[in-house]
Amino acid sequence: MAEDQARRVRIWDPALRAFHWLLALLVVANWLLGKFGPNIMTLHFWLGYSIVALLAFRLIWGIIGPESARFSSLFHHPRSVTGYLRDMVKREPSHWPGHNPLGALAVIAMLLVLIWQVGTGLIADPEDFVNVGPLANKVGSDIATKADAWHALGADLILIFVLMHIAAILFYRIWKNEDLIRPMLTGWKWVRRR
Amino acid sequence: MRLISLTAIAAITAFPLFAHADDRIEDALEARHGYMTMLAINMGTLAGMAKGEIEYDEAAASTAGANIEALGNYAVSDLFIEGTANGEVDDSDALPAIWENPDDFVQKFADLGEAAAGAGEAVKGGQANVGPVVQKLGGTCKVCHDDYRKKD
Repeated sequence: MAEDQARRVRIWDPALRAFHWLLALLVVANWLLGKFGPNIMTLHFWLGYSIVALLAFRLIWGIIGPESARFSSLFHHPRSVTGYLRDMVKREPSHWPGHNPLGALAVIAMLLVLIWQVGTGLIADPEDFVNVGPLANKVGSDIATKADAWHALGADLILIFVLMHIAAILFYRIWKNEDLIRPMLTGWKWVRRR
Repeated sequence: MRLISLTAIAAITAFPLFAHADDRIEDALEARHGYMTMLAINMGTLAGMAKGEIEYDEAAASTAGANIEALGNYAVSDLFIEGTANGEVDDSDALPAIWENPDDFVQKFADLGEAAAGAGEAVKGGQANVGPVVQKLGGTCKVCHDDYRKKD
């Protein structure tokens, strides 16, 4: 019985939490700037560089950070993903310590799409002579103009991922009665040993 | 046999008509691409000078500015004739939205003309004067590309 009891544990370290909220803020702001911002996209560029820095931090933190930030805790066996999926519809908190098998897949996907987005942004040439990516001249004009289209595709993917992310949080909050926002603010989460 | 020769005659006599229609489309497309390339060459000169990748040369800058000014005054309607949208003809990046919003499209070209007015003079007097002109012009490139040019 004691083993089944949920305990409050410090899961998310301060750096990871800061990373998460800064990334959320910058990605949303930069998405809006990209779609609706000024024609001279200087601010979009600078926020993009900041996102590069955040992603670089995350990649390092995935190697040297605490347990729940490690990449090793992101990769689960496919069987645990299907197992998690099966139990997910239960109307009870998951009490999962750290990234659950399905959420970990979402994290990997979001990191990959953001890497894609900063990569294509850096080499994109929209042929307007003012918003040319700083590395566009390193890849040749053919790839640079294509990268502009890839960057637009990436923006659509980011929108989809952000909406899915919010939907998942709401699903946990409403259906499973588990608040995942507070742990990302305080670091403390109710977890059960696995 | 008779049917075949009739068909052949019909095809031969009709051919110039088709060829003519094709020519108009081809010409518009070719001229349009040439027009955009001419803009790009001159914008490239100014953008290069603004970034310091090309050494500032007042005469060259002024020529590029004046060329863009001339291109900005060119009425482009003949370059965007019906049947030249992306999907209607190979190698066209012109979105059908152009023909759905003709007034807005014309306005966006007018904005380029307005931004280009006086460019030949404005880029004189030093490298620092080039950047603002490039920004003003480039902004109008972007606005129009965003809505009316297929990204590929």
